[in-house]
Amino acid sequence: MSRPDAIPASAVRSEANTVKPFNRRHFPLDGWEMTLVVLLVLVLVGFSWAAPGFYDGMPDLLSMAENFLPFGFVALGLSLVIFTGGIDLSVSTTASLTAVVVAQLWHGFGMNIWVAAGIGLLLGALLGAINVLVIIRLKIEPLIATLATSFIYGSIATAVAGNAPPSGFPDAFNALGGGALGILPYQLLLFVPLCLGFWLLVARSAYGRKLVMVGYNREVALYSGIRVERILVVAYVLSGVMAAVAGLVLAAYYSAARPDMGDPLLLATLTMVVLGGVSIFGGEGTMLGVILAVFILGFLRQGMMIAGFSDMVTTMVTGAILITSIAVKNLFNKRGTGLGNQLWALLRRPEATGSEPE
Amino acid sequence: MSFAQWAASPGPGVGGHEGRIYRACNIGKRFGPVTVLRDVDATLRAGRVLTIMGENGAGKSTLFKILAGQLRPTSGHIELDGQELSLGAPSAAHAHGIYLVPQEPMLMPELSVAEMMFVGHMPTSGRFLKRVDWRAIRSRARAVLDALELDIGIDRPAKTLSIAQLQLVECAKALLHECRVILFDEPTSPLTAHEVETLFGIMRRLAGDGYTLSFISHRTEEVMEISDDIVVLRDGRMVGAAERGAFDRASLLSLMVGRELRTVSRRTKSHVTQELALSVKGLTHEPSFRDVDFSLRRGEILGLAGLIGAGRTEIAETIFGLRQVDRGTVKLGNTDITGVPSHDLIRRGVAYVPEDRGRHGAVLPMTITENITSSRMERVRQTAGLMSRGHETEIGAKAVRDFRIRCAGLDQTLLELSGGNQQKVVFAKWISTEPRLVILDEPTRGVDVGAKEEIYELIDRMAASGTAVVVISSESEELVRLCDRVLCIYEGRIVAELAGEEITPQSVTASYVGGSQARDAEFEKAGA
Repeated sequence: MSRPDAIPASAVRSEANTVKPFNRRHFPLDGWEMTLVVLLVLVLVGFSWAAPGFYDGMPDLLSMAENFLPFGFVALGLSLVIFTGGIDLSVSTTASLTAVVVAQLWHGFGMNIWVAAGIGLLLGALLGAINVLVIIRLKIEPLIATLATSFIYGSIATAVAGNAPPSGFPDAFNALGGGALGILPYQLLLFVPLCLGFWLLVARSAYGRKLVMVGYNREVALYSGIRVERILVVAYVLSGVMAAVAGLVLAAYYSAARPDMGDPLLLATLTMVVLGGVSIFGGEGTMLGVILAVFILGFLRQGMMIAGFSDMVTTMVTGAILITSIAVKNLFNKRGTGLGNQLWALLRRPEATGSEPE
Repeated sequence: MSFAQWAASPGPGVGGHEGRIYRACNIGKRFGPVTVLRDVDATLRAGRVLTIMGENGAGKSTLFKILAGQLRPTSGHIELDGQELSLGAPSAAHAHGIYLVPQEPMLMPELSVAEMMFVGHMPTSGRFLKRVDWRAIRSRARAVLDALELDIGIDRPAKTLSIAQLQLVECAKALLHECRVILFDEPTSPLTAHEVETLFGIMRRLAGDGYTLSFISHRTEEVMEISDDIVVLRDGRMVGAAERGAFDRASLLSLMVGRELRTVSRRTKSHVTQELALSVKGLTHEPSFRDVDFSLRRGEILGLAGLIGAGRTEIAETIFGLRQVDRGTVKLGNTDITGVPSHDLIRRGVAYVPEDRGRHGAVLPMTITENITSSRMERVRQTAGLMSRGHETEIGAKAVRDFRIRCAGLDQTLLELSGGNQQKVVFAKWISTEPRLVILDEPTRGVDVGAKEEIYELIDRMAASGTAVVVISSESEELVRLCDRVLCIYEGRIVAELAGEEITPQSVTASYVGGSQARDAEFEKAGA
């Protein structure tokens, strides 16, 4: 994660062996992230040119982000879980349940909407904590554990919502979903500092380093005195909280809470995280990549919708991107053993492999 | 029959072919820009054992892979009985009667011994619905194992065999497929001294039967014991090739390393102080070990000798808080640390360098600096919860310098380093926490001779600075070189304690082998 940027001169002039702080990464972005930047530019330029109505000035482009930033919030939290080598399938129903509970607290109990929203965030943390306790204490694979809890959370959401889910929140709350400060949507104003926070957490904090270690090799982390379970608890709880944030933003955006509101979140956010370069096996990846992927996939889906493709088609494309990004990741893995690595090596030095002895 | 009688008795008589000469002529091998072998000649003769010697990275394994058909040479050729061969795959080598016994044979844990021996060559019966002919498999597998006088049940699942037994089963497989040239890829490094003797016994018998054998090693004693011919490689070049008689241990070592090397000796100065560092009383973790008592002073180096699986690693892991304590107490100085978890012990100055680098020691895809600081990230300066990259790099650079880690840059991942350098990174990771007590589990496994001596000096320096050191090692010379005191562990118990001049390679080995003999005697008594 860290890229050393300073080194004492004494180290460089060591007589035993010359140590350079870098041997290859002079540019702050690695290959995968550069590819993502290019993709983002392609998506923006491509749709502006091909889909009339996609680019209609900067304010319009920014407000388009309101349609996909809820995915972004979930993706930030979900990446922590995927960094550990786990997965959280319950993000969508966590978002729905939070939104519905907050709406009922406001509507049914006459609670102040902001107090209710605060309770909603705590609920998200609680749901995340339940996930991780099931995983750690009952020793159930994250995939199965969160699949099961996602059904449970979803059913509770339906029950809490009842026949007529509440709607028509106060305008101040609705502004969270659709309002803007000048040309900057409130959603974006919330998303940017969170991005910064998550990026620093993963790339620069001791927690982030431990998270990556646990993801790469849990045994080594254990033998290094890292409290692996704590790392997991924080990751799943933050994933739950971020899903709750997405639920609140969605509720504000629609000024309504529905128990199936979070359903589209899962596929898209998972795709964003993986497209962002986080390995589903854990360890590898960067937060910056995930943030780039949020905008790529977000604008791509919006662009396709504006160009007249149905929701069905965009979902299909999202699924295809998910498979493609995992496949590419496997073909060019960091250990250099993927098929892609080998083909590349073969192209670069054909004499090294298959040549006949002279 | 005793082992000595058995090894001296005439061979199993599987053969009947004339001997074969397998020759590598002017072999060169490049991987892209890197040349790993240059003009290497080696001749394997029937009835003789040819040893390929060299440090890690000298090109031994590459040469073997070429001989076994896994790699093609860039220049030069190989010939069998004067006929040039072009081997594209291991199967082609098998077809010519050349078999490579891997160091840690691929394990299909659920298969039985007989099944393993016939994987890919199952005899069948029946015309249309071909059925596996289990009777033929069992009888032929039994016959080969009997011929080698190996006492391994053919129905035992592979997962119950030791590495030594797996190697012997592979060897039997070579006979089964009528291979006359058998290559052993560094077979002895995962074996105990006793198992090595068994393997050498079998190799001698095969040589006596006219088989053509070759093996890789960097342990000079072994090489002098088993070889008829020796080829020494250094940096991909052949620096010596002759019959065994032309070499002695010192000349082999200096050829391998390329400079005169002091022969392994006892350490000259002890640094033991009076201050108690660690005391262990009645420590038990069933079923691995029980009632272990010992104490250790600051500046002392204590060795734990024993066979693999005797419980030494388990004792270390229990002290380090990775395993449950069933009974007993552990004290660090005067503080009771029984059952204290690892993260807390690290803060109190305990370090454990595990045996298996890839599984427990280091995260190979992470960088050198990241691995070094991972043992105690708190020591990196932090502002508002963010680690200072400048300070972290300083720590990394200092460790790379102090431990002479050879690398191109601090942000290289460990995947790009050689085994010896990976081991130095793992060392640096723990020693840079400045521990009061450090437990080293097989500190020089898979490390070449030069790096070994550097590691010994490092351990010595640590003791001189007042650190209490526990060294777990299966190499008795290493224990002689390093330790003030040696405890011999046999089946989870301390069976002997040696100190100072008493520690010799013979006494160390004898004490745990003696442990096994004492036990055998007990059994006989109980049986009678």
